Order: sequence, then C-alpha cells, then structure tokens
Amino acid sequence: MSSTVTVTSIIDTNKKYQYIDKGSPSAAGGMKDIYFSPDKSYVVAFYRAAQDFNSIERLKKIVTTYFDRFFNNPSGAYYKELYSWPIDVVKLDNRIGIIVPCYNSNFFFKKGYALNDALKGQDKEGKWFASPLFRVSSSKSKLDESELGNWLSYFQIGVNIARGVKRLHAAGLAHSDLSYKNVLIDPVSKTAAIIDIDGLVVPGLFPPDVIGTPDFIAPEVLSTLHLNIKDPNRKLPNIQTDKHALAVLIYMYLLYRHPLKGGKFFGGDIEADEEVKLAMGSKALFVEHPTDKSNQNLKREYGDNLQKFQPWTNLTKTPYTILGPYLKELFDQAFIKGLHNPNERPPASMWEQALIKTMDLKLQCANSRCDQKWFIYNDTNNTSCPFCNTRYNTSIPILDFYFQQSPGKWKPENQRLVVYNGTTLQLWHTDRNVITNENLTAAQKTPVGYFSFFNNKWVFVNQKLTSLVDKSENKEIKIGEMVELTSGKQLILSKEDGGRVAVISIANK
Amino acid sequence: MRRLPVYFLLDTSGSMNGTSIVALNNSLSEMIGTLRQDPQAIESVWISIITFDIESKIIIPLSSIDSFQLPEITCPSSGPTHTGEALSLLFKIVNTDIKKGSMTEKGDWKPLLFLFTDGSPSDKQLYREMTPKIKALNFGIIVGCAAGSLSDDAMLKELCDHVVHLDTADASTLKQFFKWVSETIDHGNKSMGTGDKVGIPPPPNDINLVI
Repeated sequence: MSSTVTVTSIIDTNKKYQYIDKGSPSAAGGMKDIYFSPDKSYVVAFYRAAQDFNSIERLKKIVTTYFDRFFNNPSGAYYKELYSWPIDVVKLDNRIGIIVPCYNSNFFFKKGYALNDALKGQDKEGKWFASPLFRVSSSKSKLDESELGNWLSYFQIGVNIARGVKRLHAAGLAHSDLSYKNVLIDPVSKTAAIIDIDGLVVPGLFPPDVIGTPDFIAPEVLSTLHLNIKDPNRKLPNIQTDKHALAVLIYMYLLYRHPLKGGKFFGGDIEADEEVKLAMGSKALFVEHPTDKSNQNLKREYGDNLQKFQPWTNLTKTPYTILGPYLKELFDQAFIKGLHNPNERPPASMWEQALIKTMDLKLQCANSRCDQKWFIYNDTNNTSCPFCNTRYNTSIPILDFYFQQSPGKWKPENQRLVVYNGTTLQLWHTDRNVITNENLTAAQKTPVGYFSFFNNKWVFVNQKLTSLVDKSENKEIKIGEMVELTSGKQLILSKEDGGRVAVISIANK
Repeated sequence: MRRLPVYFLLDTSGSMNGTSIVALNNSLSEMIGTLRQDPQAIESVWISIITFDIESKIIIPLSSIDSFQLPEITCPSSGPTHTGEALSLLFKIVNTDIKKGSMTEKGDWKPLLFLFTDGSPSDKQLYREMTPKIKALNFGIIVGCAAGSLSDDAMLKELCDHVVHLDTADASTLKQFFKWVSETIDHGNKSMGTGDKVGIPPPPNDINLVI
C-alpha cells in the first residue's frame, strides 16, 4: 500500500513537503533513497547513513547561501537549467533528506532503444551516450537515431558541462563526484544537467564524503585509498579531481571510449579490482600517450567488441587529434602532463573556450548518411571525414584572426574560422572584448554577417559591421555589401578597440 | 569489456508449485528488464541461471544480459530439493566460465552468487561437501535467500555471506527481493564513500537480513 508522507524543513519549519511511500524507495543511489512528490515535481532523497553535524551544516549552506549566490543574479536563470540543485533540507524521525526539483522532460527518453520501448521514459544518464555499445548499428542495445543527435551535439553538451563546473569552482566549491551517472545529457536539445549537487566540497570547511564514481576517480585519490582518512597524504576529492573527471567526461562524450582504458597488462596473477586500481590509479596512463604505447592493448581491453565498436576502438582512425588543435592541447595537459600532477590539469573555463573555438572548425560531412554528420577541419589539403572517409568536395576558405597588440603590430589570436556555405560571422570573432560565455546577450548572439558560395565565388556578406575594410584593396565594405574571399586577402573587421583583422586562405582547392 | 558474472541458483522443487513459481518468473523477468535499463549493467553484467529440484538444469548459460530470452521456469508438483547437486553443477560451470586475467584477455570481476530456496537441502551431505569448494571459488558475494517458514536459514548461513529471509514467496516480496538484487549488482558502479568498502545496499523493509 502506498501512503503520502509529510516532511518538514529543518530551516523553516513552516515549509512542508510530501512524498509517496510505496513501501520501498522509487530509486536508490549509492548513498540515498529517493521518493517522488505526489505531483512528481520534486523528489525527497533520504540519506541512508546518519548525517553528522558537519554534513547537515553543509546541506543547509547549499540550499541557502550557495543557492542565493548561484541563482539570484543575472546568469542565475542559465545555471538553474544546468544544475539539479537541492532547495531544502528535511528531517523525518532521525533521517535527513533533501528536496530536489525533478529535471526537465527533455532528460527522459522519448523513444529510447531503436528496437523496443523498454527505455521510454527513463532518464538520460550520460553513460548511454558514452559508449559505442549504445550507438553502433550491430548492437542490440542501440539507441534510436532520434535520441543520438550528431557529433556536434556533444561539443555543445561539453560546453554546458564545462560551464557548470566552472561556476562551482569560481565559488570555491568542488562537485566531488562528477561522472556520467551524475551528469544527465540530452543530445537532442544539446543540454546537460549536473545532478547530485549535495556532495559539494567546500575546501577547508566541509570535507568530502564520497571518493567519486568508478571511471572518474582521480589517480591520486585511488592510489592513496589504503591510507587512513586522517593521514595527510590521503587524497580526497577537490577542485583538481573535478578537473580530471571533467576531462574524462568530455573525452568520453566525443570519442565514446575511456581515456585510461587501453588494456594494459600489469603482469602476474592479478585480481580484476587490483588491476583497475592500478590502471585508474598509480599506474594510470593515457591510452593515446604519444611515446609510451604500453596502454594500447585494445584487443585485451575490448575483446570481441574490438570490431563491433569500430571506428572508436581504432586509435589510428579516430585519434584524439581529430578533435582539432585546441582540444588536443588540453587533453595533453589533462592526461599526459596533469594525470599525475593535479595542478597541471586545465581549468573548466579552458575546456569551455576550447570547445567553442573548436566548433568554429566544423565542416559538414559530404555524405548525408554519415553517422556523425560533422567533423573538425584537420588542416591538410586533403580534407575528408575521419569517420566515413568521404572526401570533402568544395574548397574551404579559412579566416585566421589577428589582434592589434600596439599600433601597427598585429599578433595571431590562435583562433580561426573555417567557412562553409552558410557559416555566420559573430561578434566574438570580430571583437576580442566579446567573450563567449553564458553572459552573452541575445543581441550579441545575432550574426554580424555570413559566408556564401555565390556565382562560383566565396563571398562574405556584411550585415552589421560598421567599419569593415578590405585592407588588400583598401576599400570599405558597407552594410549590405559583399566582399569576395581570396587567398591572402586581409579584412579589418572593426576599427574599434578590440577589433580584429582576418587573414584569408583557401584550403582543399 | 570486463564482465561481471552473476549466478542464480533457483529452487524449483515441488513446494514452489503454484503461485510461488509464477511470482518467481515475474520477478525474475522484471529484474532482467530493470538491468536492461541500466547502461552499466548492459555493458558488464553476464547472467547464468540454474534451477534445481530433483535434478539441476542450466536454463541460461552465462550470457550478456542483452543477449538472451528468459524461458519460463516450471517446477514439478512434488519432489525433493537437491541443493547440493546444484552447487556441484555450479562448481563445474564456474570453473570453466570465469576468465582469469592474462596478457591477452581481461579477467572477470569476482562473480556474484544468489541462491534462492524455499526449503532445506534434501541432499545435506553433498551440500556440506560442496560448501567449502564453492566458498573457495572466490565469489565477490554469496547471498542466500530463504523464503517461507520451511526454509533453513542456518544451513544457508554455512554457505552464504548474507542470508535474507522472506516470510513468503509472494509476488510483492519477490519483486522487492529481485529489485534489491539488481541494486546489489549495480552497487559497484555508484558513488563510493570515503570510508567504506564496496558492499551491498541495505535490504528493503520486507526482507530480513539474518545475522
């Protein structure tokens, strides 16, 4: 028999919440039992273990001080969508629980599996989108195509996750348990939701109570697991370990494989859990390490799935360099330099910017039946899709951006725009003072012009730039006018402070 | 991919006949359904099901959970409970099923064993003979589930790390039990506390953990 139970806030005893008790929880996490409210607009999640004074204080602070700080400001609305943030702490008998709003309907499968409806209505835990098992056509557990989005969706999802982590870190907080279980993603709307916020770690104030979820626990945490929790050498989750988990998440959503799982054999008669502890802990090694290839035993890692999971299990066909130069650099930093040196790991804001810059290098695959639909320009004269090998069939204008360091002295921005028919030029390309973050206004997001292949020529049509000059011909291009893109041409995009110059080259001729 | 082998030994002796066997079939298929909604489980869990009454049968040889169709489990109208013989069959197949780590192949996770019975072994001597052999197989966890008043908790304790007792083998209790089983199977994939080792989640209300 089910009954409706009323619980009271420990912060404001006038606040009551209700949940349906069917005799057992509707869901169970690693630490909590979860019950739905009668209208399913929120859940009550009870901790199974008793919560000590510190933990309760932490929870109180998360639902009051940090709640206000995160959401009662201009970018609050954006973040409200991104987190499943607890709103209250309740107590029933001796059990402590939190009230968490239910996530948006787009985070539940509309179709689910391609072959049956068994997944319909289930939540879109990130894991579904992080393994070839749920997308390759030969798999019985393949998700329906309508659920998978295209490759570009996962860059956008990565941006959202990176922003969510960036915001936490900016407030001095660590999530402490980022994983594909705790990040829901929706490739259809290209959004993400970070859940299980209640484990937030405030350095120095509230210590972590989880070490993380397998596959995402940082090497230093696993390799010091045997030490007592009071031992100063014991490493626990913090902002640096979040950065590791974030890098793993981004890598997995883009390449559908784990960056440290390469089948390395450590010798001897070793139990599975010991082997995993080494492979993810003290002996962790990037599967794509450029010189140490000892973790590239993919036949051992994937067994019979090695063939089934192609091309993702083929490091020659889908190396991480297909993600373009900006992400390659960050993955080097995260998984080579920073794997065992937590301070070297890239911060979330760098992932956000690198993902956004990489999306400016995108090209649509010429094969309309390509599974990924998009790929990243690889800077060679033989441009083809790395996934289906289809040759890209038109020339590619490329704009390299420069900024004026001092009058007359121009320096490269390490930023470029790869053009296809219909590419738009944005304010954040023309003006280096405009940063692509969650604070961009709608006006700042409208294009300032667009590119088109018109009468057999590549042209740029100016829609909003008030001081665009074709420097090569010393000619002003007014709003509504167009300029042809030719190799070597220089365009002054804006004469105002922060205005950039674009130098054009034409690739794949 | 590293496999998590999960063995089920299910009592199909005469006493299960009637509503109990129907409840068992339903709960089992519901549990498989739940596991098929869990991406971690689909990736790693392999299941083998052995039934035992007067004889022991492998009704599902070790298979990944997205690869088999669950047959209907039936039982004779009366007859003994040869638990010992089931353990003997289990011993044989576990030794050939389980992959040890090698240079060319990944080893399996420690297998899990769930033994469900509503009576006590009719072949006590064989049961006691097999008990140390099964324990030596290095299971990650051995859970015994005793249903109804005729089951023998003490005998199960000799074999199992955990014994849960169900007062009846009715539909709602079995459903809860198998839900708990699927949570136990999934436990290793969830957030891990700073202090504890991987164990099992606490059982729901209707299930009594026998200490």
